[in-house]
Amino acid sequence: MVKFTAEELRRIMDLKHNIRNMSVIAHVDHGKSTLTDSLVAAAGIIAQEVAGDVRMTDTRADEAERGITIKSTGISLYYEMTEESLKSFKGERNGNEYLINLIDSPGHVDFSSEVTAALRITDGALVVVDCIEGVCVQTETVLRQALGERIRPVLTVNKMDRCFLELQVDGEEAYQTFQKVIENANVIMATYEDPLLGDVQVYPEKGTVAFSAGLHGWAFTLTNFAKMYASKFGVDEAKMMERLWGENYFDPATKKWTGKNTGSPTCKRGFVQFCYEPIKQIINTCMNDQKTKLWPMLQKLGVSMKADEKELVGKALMKRVMQTWLPASEALLEMMVFHLPSPAKAQRYRVENLYEGPLDDVYANAIRNCDPEGPLMLYVSKMIPASDKGRFFAFGRVFAGKVSTGLKVRIMGPNYVPGQKKDLYVKSVQRTVIWMGKKQESVEDVPCGNTVALVGLDQFITKNATITNETEVDAHPIRAMKFSVSPVVRVAVQCKVASDLPKLVEGLKRLAKSDPMVICTIEESGEHIIAGAGELHLEICLKDLQEDFMGGAEINVSPPVVSFRETVKDKSCRTVMSKSPNKHNRLYMEARPLEEGLPEAIDEGRVGPRDDPKVRSKILSEEFGWDKDLARKIWCFGPETTGPNMVVDMCKGVQYLNEIKDSVAAGFQWASKEGALAEENMRGICFEVCDVVLHADAIHRGGGQIIPTARRVIYASQLTATPRMLEPIYLVEIQAPEQALGGIYGVLNKNRGHVFEEMQRPGTPLYNIKAYLPVVESFGFSSTLRAATSGQAFPQCVFDHWEMMNSDPFDPTSEAFRIVTEVRKRKGLKEQITPLSDYEDKL
Amino acid sequence: MLYIIGLGLGDDKDITLKGLEAVKKCERVYIEAYTSLLSFGLSSNGLSTLEDLYGKPLIVADREMVEESVDDMLYEAREFGVAFLVVGDPFGATTHTDLVVRAKKLGVEVKVIHNASVVNAIGVCGLQLYRYGEIVSIPFFTETWRPDSFYEKICTNRLHGLHTLCLLDIRVKEPSIESLCRGKKCYEPPKFMTIQNAIEQLLEVEQMRGESAYSEEATCVGFARLGSEDQVVVAGSMRELVNVEFGSPLHCLVIVGKTHPVEEEMLDFYTIRPKSL
Repeated sequence: MVKFTAEELRRIMDLKHNIRNMSVIAHVDHGKSTLTDSLVAAAGIIAQEVAGDVRMTDTRADEAERGITIKSTGISLYYEMTEESLKSFKGERNGNEYLINLIDSPGHVDFSSEVTAALRITDGALVVVDCIEGVCVQTETVLRQALGERIRPVLTVNKMDRCFLELQVDGEEAYQTFQKVIENANVIMATYEDPLLGDVQVYPEKGTVAFSAGLHGWAFTLTNFAKMYASKFGVDEAKMMERLWGENYFDPATKKWTGKNTGSPTCKRGFVQFCYEPIKQIINTCMNDQKTKLWPMLQKLGVSMKADEKELVGKALMKRVMQTWLPASEALLEMMVFHLPSPAKAQRYRVENLYEGPLDDVYANAIRNCDPEGPLMLYVSKMIPASDKGRFFAFGRVFAGKVSTGLKVRIMGPNYVPGQKKDLYVKSVQRTVIWMGKKQESVEDVPCGNTVALVGLDQFITKNATITNETEVDAHPIRAMKFSVSPVVRVAVQCKVASDLPKLVEGLKRLAKSDPMVICTIEESGEHIIAGAGELHLEICLKDLQEDFMGGAEINVSPPVVSFRETVKDKSCRTVMSKSPNKHNRLYMEARPLEEGLPEAIDEGRVGPRDDPKVRSKILSEEFGWDKDLARKIWCFGPETTGPNMVVDMCKGVQYLNEIKDSVAAGFQWASKEGALAEENMRGICFEVCDVVLHADAIHRGGGQIIPTARRVIYASQLTATPRMLEPIYLVEIQAPEQALGGIYGVLNKNRGHVFEEMQRPGTPLYNIKAYLPVVESFGFSSTLRAATSGQAFPQCVFDHWEMMNSDPFDPTSEAFRIVTEVRKRKGLKEQITPLSDYEDKL
Repeated sequence: MLYIIGLGLGDDKDITLKGLEAVKKCERVYIEAYTSLLSFGLSSNGLSTLEDLYGKPLIVADREMVEESVDDMLYEAREFGVAFLVVGDPFGATTHTDLVVRAKKLGVEVKVIHNASVVNAIGVCGLQLYRYGEIVSIPFFTETWRPDSFYEKICTNRLHGLHTLCLLDIRVKEPSIESLCRGKKCYEPPKFMTIQNAIEQLLEVEQMRGESAYSEEATCVGFARLGSEDQVVVAGSMRELVNVEFGSPLHCLVIVGKTHPVEEEMLDFYTIRPKSL
């Protein structure tokens, strides 16, 4: 039974204070999707009885099969709060109906680009953490991403049922575990403190932490219990909340609260006494089928069961009882309504992160005020394949104005530059759609503050885009998303039957569209390359490609290969010079490594081409020790105009320099994309233009003369600055029992990995190991590791950093030389690195 | 011996007697084909007329050859006579000085045979060559590359009352931007700037800079196919010249400075008259 209709939903979409856009994020297998189901159940899409078993948001067959979420899925939920429960809500509201746009996203690190896409269009995040496993590598990654996007988090400590059924821990021990989990999460959040967002740490006593058992469909916050006891004890609800967490103890014998354990056997911590023990008691009673004891207890709690439900036994009974007593949806939805911001509230501070243009123009103001009457500002964060093969929904969030069926819109792609025509289309929206789990409902229009799917624009959007009204020609786009993982693993694909080639080409195009991060390219040699975050990601991509986008045509896949980067270790040993083809222009240049941390700052978008020069020069001078004036003389970043290399003008008093700037930048874009060693991207190199000599007439120093010269002099300076290769390194997190450690160390050592942290999980025999592992060595790592530890160790690999290979790529005996030769061979280049003399001209 | 021989502007017959003799003496004859073009174009037909005239085959030297692999030619010149034919004058608008420098460094003897160049042929309109300022080139503007340094030069020339010769961009076998960046070869179709196009760009820059170096009303002289049988010379304001059909390339433009009465008399022959008169 669906409790609400599309019309009802559409009506609440106008109430911008009653909307919550939120994503559910967590480490893989911490129970997000299952928990999400409980919420969906409350909205009436699936029956309460099967909540926990269906995984509503895992819409793909392979997701159900593997039991993991691969793609993020959006659902709009309607939820009506009682007047009673909203009594203490202080924020702005408009009636007591709420619309919750929820996005469930994958937990496996290989798919964290999906998480990025989900975070962009939400304002709050429900962070799910397994109460036993605690904060894991992916929890940390996504939390960091969330806070970077100014997403306010709330936490739920999940899989509570494990405490009661599987581990049977006692109250105090459980409390300590929970406390530790929350503390760990808070440590991460505190690192990303942001004055505009305020305190983002979570506190059970403030109601921003829930305790849940997704599988069984129940959850509570301290608010639930505080309400219950407040009336019983006749104390203030808020006061009661505080007593239910932290160092507050109650002794029923003396009926007194104390700040520490008095040592009396009846004295227990508030949380244990009033929350943990009652639940434990109910669960145990149910599990032991002591029904005669159970009914009076339930009656005392005000829980009534239906006649047929009373027939249930054991686990089924327990599940039903708990769901009725502490329904997960109620606790979690209340927590979201109370503690996560509405779009109206969130967009006030998010506008700075979102909008690229001036923060005082009409578009910025419309976003800031979440103004439905303002110009349309919509960000498409991902493309979702539609059921009719080959078409896509453009899924995103309306930040200002309204989008409606038939509206003519301006589509600004990621390469759009205001004022130019590149990557810009004007098209009509065929349909606007809202998402309700597995089905979609068409609506007339969607106002700001909501998520939406658009039909009919898929041919003009590759991965993401900013959409505005046709007439709003002055609008700047919304900032592109930054991904926390890089596509460092690549495979080459080929069709088995040559005549399938058009299918492959078309399929690759669709694949690139459907996944926020995958990159499909064609090599010089004609090979089709797919690049992804890791083995699993690629596996899924290949499956999609073959089954969904190529109609099952067979393909051959090469063994995976890794992308490298090229960098320099020292400053160029001399200033190098290259002459233009007509010999009338000369460029002088030097290369040097960028300061430590600067490439990362560029990756994160803290330093970039579109920064305010003043802000940029402040960061560069204060954090990286640059000369203030020099910081203003950055010509460009590259590759792709935003990459972690730059050209800096060090010339003094040269005329016409401005006219050749673009030509140098154009040459640099390509040169930094295809370095001199193996045509891999450059990383962390600063090219300093030391001097130029130019022909007096513009025609003789045009692009035709300067671009190739810039390219040559860039290569010459790279080659004179001790060039080195960088290889990608994974951070591997492995959980395993003690006896498996030997095997783990063995496998890591064999694969050039090294452990930098080994920690025993308090209260468990499990060890947590963190290690660095070169991506090259990671293929088949999981299976080797499983074999070496008789299946006890499970690794999670996430891209961590680029590491310089110390060997000289020109020394034929070195590892770097071997890699360079291999890459060049694969790319169909001459095996020898082109010698310096080809790039440098001597006077 | 390397002979650098000017071919003049008009057609095959413009070569000087001395030049022709030199060509006949040489074992190898190269013709430079990218900085200008003879008015009969570079069709195979045009080339063969030259070949007939000289009685030997010609080797077309494009930009790449001249700029990047000219050394081979110079080595040949050490052994025997090599002629390098240049449209116009070897040291006119296009400077082949670099070639001379390199040849001399390699110890090759160089002989230059002059001819008419656009730089002196514009004298036909009556403006005295003494009264010209710095020559400028107007390059094709692209979306990102819009150099306007010629504006300052025109400004200075006008300030001193001097005429300005504007050479208009020629793109024969130019590599595309992408191929330049990646260091590969792939060419755009040839194109030549017309007077209309040049005036539009000039006015665009004037509008942007707003220093009134010239205006729509500034008197100019437009030349097409200078030195050939069907050359066209028209004087008038920029506004008028934009609408004149000059026909096929090459075009060039002179922005007139302060004039002497005799100059005016001569110019008068070329001036456009409104049709009603």
